[in-house]
Amino acid sequence: MTMLKEIGAELVAMFLGDARLSLTVLCVVAGAAALIRFADVDLLAAGGLLLVGCLVVLIESVRRSAQVGDN
Amino acid sequence: MSSWSAAAPAISAAFLASSVEVVEAFTIVLAAATLRGWRPAALGTAAGLALLAGGIVVLGPLLDRVPIDLLQLVIGILLLLFGMTWLRKASLRAAGVIPLHDEDAAFAREVAQLEAAARRRRTRLDWVAGMMAFKGVVLEGLEVAFIVIAVGAGRGLLVPASLGALAACALVLLVGAVVHRPLSRVPENTLKFGVGVMLSAFGVFWTGEGLGVAWPGQDLALLPFAGLFLGAGFLGSLIARRPSMEIVQ
Repeated sequence: MTMLKEIGAELVAMFLGDARLSLTVLCVVAGAAALIRFADVDLLAAGGLLLVGCLVVLIESVRRSAQVGDN
Repeated sequence: MSSWSAAAPAISAAFLASSVEVVEAFTIVLAAATLRGWRPAALGTAAGLALLAGGIVVLGPLLDRVPIDLLQLVIGILLLLFGMTWLRKASLRAAGVIPLHDEDAAFAREVAQLEAAARRRRTRLDWVAGMMAFKGVVLEGLEVAFIVIAVGAGRGLLVPASLGALAACALVLLVGAVVHRPLSRVPENTLKFGVGVMLSAFGVFWTGEGLGVAWPGQDLALLPFAGLFLGAGFLGSLIARRPSMEIVQ
């Protein structure tokens, strides 16, 4: 049972190691999807927004982690 | 038959990511073998591999039933979460904010855990060593399985991606068998940085395709994506290394 818990925890940590980073990435994806679905934005433009959003989220996450000293 | 330009990124991503995971699993198995001999370690490893293989055999065919757009979107999002988490940690390690992963220290930690278990229950030490190897193989193997599925399933490249992962296993086991000690000289953070870049690039690519985006150049779009994530990782690392950050810490 303990091992199952450890495996479950490892699986969660694989994708949600940093909850804030994961949540922000999901928001970027949801934003791109919403633009395509509801605002009729050009698909490639929404794709570009997805790419740039992820890059910005990454840099900001590293900067914030360094600033607060967490890992 | 898939073209080389489509298969090469999947094979190399699976190979590099699997190398990192197999090195970590090898350290745990070696710790178990060092203390209790190869028999319990090998049994634990075989049981772990059997469990993983069983899971893949049972769950693998289900992937064919999922609509390709949905599969690309879900895998793309999971790859983004997984890849960017790796890249973030690799950037922080490169900046010296968090310590580098030390395979020798990991080995010492596993040995200490096993010795502590030995003091608690002497009669079942082989069992404890076997379970330690089993757990290490399952935990690291799950990540390998996910990476192979993630980089391979979206374009029918499961076989090439699996071959990349198997090549990594063979290489690590070969080197491990020769040196017979933890593979601490593997540039693990550099590998993780590179793998984080590749998985993040795959993540944006698949997520976009799942949303209906037709990327210019198709698979070749992965290259500029990887370049941009590499640049972002370096930039993040540089920002994290700035003196002002050290003062704040």
